[in-house]
Amino acid sequence: MGLRARRRPGARTGAVPAALLLAATLLPAGCGTATGEEITLYHPPARHIQALAEACNERANGRYRIVVRTLPRDAEGQREQLVRRLAAQDTGLDILGLDVTWVPEFAEAGWLAEWVGRHRAEAERGVLALPLSSARWQGKLYAAPASTNVQLLFYDRTLTPRPPRTFDEMIAMSRELKAAGKPYQILLTGAQYEGLVVQYTSLVAAAGGRILSDGGERVVLDAGAVRGLAILQRLATSRVTSPGLARAQEGDVYRAFAAAESDAAFQLNWPLALAATRDLNPERAANLAATTYPGVRPGRQGKSTIGGVNLGVSAYSGKPRRAFEAAKCLRSAQSQKLAALCGGAPPAIEAIYRDPAPLDSCQGGDRSGPLSMATAFPMAEVILRAIRDAAVRPATPAYQNLSTVMAKVLSPPGDIDPPATARRLREELTKAIASRGILP
Amino acid sequence: MAVRMTPLTRAARSPRLRWTLADIVVVAYALAPVAWLVSLSVKTPATVSDRNFLPRQFTWDNYARIFTADSAEFLRPLLNSIGIVVISTAVAVVIGAMAGYAVARLEFPGRRAVIGVSLLIAMFPQASVISPLFEIERTIGLFDTWPGLVLPYVAFALPLAIYTMAAFFRQLPGDLEKAARMDGATPGQALRKAIVPLAAPGMLTAAILVFIFCWNDFLFAISLTSTESARTASAALAFFAGSARFEEPAGMLSAAAVVITVPIVVFVLCFQRRIVAGLTSGAVKG
Amino acid sequence: MSEPVTPAAKAERKLALLLCAPALLVMIAVAAWPIIHAVVLSLQRYDLRFPGEREFVGLGNYAAVLSNGFWWTAVGVTVVIIGVSVALELMLGLVLALMMHRSLVGRGVVRTVLLIPYGIVTVVAAYSWLFAWSADTGYLSRLFGPETAPLSEWGPSLVIIIIAEVWKAAPFVALLLMGGLALVPADMLQMAAMDGATRWQRFSWVTLPAMKPAIGVACVFSTLNAFRIFDTIFVLTRGANDTGSVAVLTYNNLFRGLNLGIASTMSVLIFLAAALIVLVLLKVLGVAAPGDEDRGR
Repeated sequence: MGLRARRRPGARTGAVPAALLLAATLLPAGCGTATGEEITLYHPPARHIQALAEACNERANGRYRIVVRTLPRDAEGQREQLVRRLAAQDTGLDILGLDVTWVPEFAEAGWLAEWVGRHRAEAERGVLALPLSSARWQGKLYAAPASTNVQLLFYDRTLTPRPPRTFDEMIAMSRELKAAGKPYQILLTGAQYEGLVVQYTSLVAAAGGRILSDGGERVVLDAGAVRGLAILQRLATSRVTSPGLARAQEGDVYRAFAAAESDAAFQLNWPLALAATRDLNPERAANLAATTYPGVRPGRQGKSTIGGVNLGVSAYSGKPRRAFEAAKCLRSAQSQKLAALCGGAPPAIEAIYRDPAPLDSCQGGDRSGPLSMATAFPMAEVILRAIRDAAVRPATPAYQNLSTVMAKVLSPPGDIDPPATARRLREELTKAIASRGILP
Repeated sequence: MAVRMTPLTRAARSPRLRWTLADIVVVAYALAPVAWLVSLSVKTPATVSDRNFLPRQFTWDNYARIFTADSAEFLRPLLNSIGIVVISTAVAVVIGAMAGYAVARLEFPGRRAVIGVSLLIAMFPQASVISPLFEIERTIGLFDTWPGLVLPYVAFALPLAIYTMAAFFRQLPGDLEKAARMDGATPGQALRKAIVPLAAPGMLTAAILVFIFCWNDFLFAISLTSTESARTASAALAFFAGSARFEEPAGMLSAAAVVITVPIVVFVLCFQRRIVAGLTSGAVKG
Repeated sequence: MSEPVTPAAKAERKLALLLCAPALLVMIAVAAWPIIHAVVLSLQRYDLRFPGEREFVGLGNYAAVLSNGFWWTAVGVTVVIIGVSVALELMLGLVLALMMHRSLVGRGVVRTVLLIPYGIVTVVAAYSWLFAWSADTGYLSRLFGPETAPLSEWGPSLVIIIIAEVWKAAPFVALLLMGGLALVPADMLQMAAMDGATRWQRFSWVTLPAMKPAIGVACVFSTLNAFRIFDTIFVLTRGANDTGSVAVLTYNNLFRGLNLGIASTMSVLIFLAAALIVLVLLKVLGVAAPGDEDRGR
């Protein structure tokens, strides 16, 4: 065992630095004729992504070949991996699957190639307004939206036939359920990470408040933002969430909801929660319904925060021409439909939501046959409505600093003291925005 | 309860039984976390969240998956780990043995400096070099390569290698070289003829200790790599995404963790005496 | 000692230097050079996302770090972890050492199994503890009560981090102490026993003083080991809820913040702190640096 392992590495080691230097020039020359240029796609883990890449490779007819490299599960891990290679000006990255919040940072650092001319026109065609705005920075387009996402309120029809309209109402309903000895918990992402920032951003938007000024250069943190803190704190201390709130990430939320003896009645999560529940607990999935986020002020709609994946082309890519071509294929309507039906990623192109044709390649689990938008996204209308009226996280190159600091100050949500936490938040965010502060 | 007490109390009076009970406690202490990982790794997806220490349903699926479906995420890093650690161990033991010999058996002015520097490195907090090391490797192209990890591994394992080897060489009879020198050999020839043939046992001990040391690294591995081209198994564990879509990834992670632990268990079982002797001689007397 | 340099001695010197050169070179290249580089970087504003803004800021980064609450929280956490785990490791280590030294039964077994915590990869052990304490998988998760998630709160998180740390380090401390136990003079113990000393008196009058050097080494080891803590925290909490050590904070500022200036400043401060710890411990414990004692041999 040792022998074989030793010989292989030994041969590689000496070659690695040289290979790094020569990779950009040698590789295309070596295999350009046979299989086309190799385009690496760094993408968050997703079930459909390999199928998507293969479909595009087929369409490319030998001009390029997309190789998928899977990033870690959590957004922060993904960013850490990308950013450290981009900072090293690595030529091995061609297409980057970016979280919606990263475009300003990556663009400002000069890591993304701008989309111009016909590339840009194609990347923008038919795309929903808010997802598209997340791919722009300073009026220029730096990525192509490949999917979007928006958090919804999932509830159990048998427990609450009529979903709550506001957070206050939801807490009251939950208490009633608890008193009646029924599943009652409100599950949400409360761990110290991006997911907590998403929740808070949604609450602030619903309260009509703002965290940053429009250009993202100044901390505002108005009355609405303080209101958001109060609700988060109430939610965390009313004994209506799970004890694991301060550790819960998306997966914990949908797994806890789908668990055999779940105590949960509500979950705030991405549409993926439906597919997860179908997978893990089909019985419960049958009663699962979705609606838009609860509001904060009576009579006013709730808002939720958009997510999704934008495809950028690395500024250090040695093959930008093919990379753009491949990226355009990956974000095409055809691909987005496949991603939606096979992978559960809500499309960024509006028309796809009304496309009735099922896809044979995407099967819905055990019995249901090929999936269509209607079966994969029964809540498509809700998603569209939520996206049109969604909140966006602050657009600023220092977003990561802001988010890290915000998650820190808001953690654990049960310890929030609205006025004091607001003061602390204002102080820390002001430092973070200048990227001069220290990250927790 | 009361019925059972009597034999137990009697047992407690017999020293042999008392020691046996204590031994059982120690064995449980040492093995519980490992046993728990093994248990999790063979639980089925349906029972992985049942919170039982022992599995109720049994499957090898998690192992099959990390070596097939998710092999890019685990198998490749495992090969990286083996390659990088074996190379580092070889390099560290060879140059550590050279320095160890000089420190143990030769008179020279820089002797205390060598001991001082290696002591310093042994006490060095690795966190204080990751920022500059990342910047340096990024600039000279060593970032995310095998040599980029081998270098820090060798450097930080060297004190261990030097101490272990010095302790070993010191045990050898004092007049070994003298005899060779009587025949007119230079110090270098004396080393080659009289010492090198005897060095194997010491180098084996040093190699085991250094291997365990490098195998354990995490900070350098996650700081100085970013892809499967150099990421090691322990770093891969931390970024494991896995092919399971919605399931709790604990099962597969545990399986990977168990695989990483296998070489350690093998070493411990085969070389217990050597490891204990190496650690105690290097650390206390050396 | 200082004889005239004979040709033979000269040849020996030359050989010694040749033999030491590679080791010294590597150690200096990978440790000393980066530390100097860290000092240089720590005097600059250098954020990789804003490369255009790179400039010399003097001691500005030091002022920023040393006046920052997050830094001092991390320092506090690190100090707590050091204090508690060193004490526990020494106590547990002594018990385990006595067992390995004196057990009538299964000495080999005990010695062997105790090498598992020593040898196991820290991250692997940390995952075991993580899954053991996680609300959804863990057999220990209900230990603090049914409605709790221990790893989501500051106190329980720190307790778990320290348990993980002590579990792994105590057996090694035990090995160090066992080396010391071997040096306890058996005849003195016997004499003390004949003089009517109790078991505890024998232990504190004879055994402990004889073990002092070993205890000193164990103390230095476990302090520095606890000071370096990173892997365990990274896996268990990632530093959430004020559980990050200084190493975790440095990592976060380096790779999340990409702020080389700030991260290097922390690196330098950590280095200085480690140097201070070593100096103080050597002074207080009177431990001889290993170089001193082997001179006579």
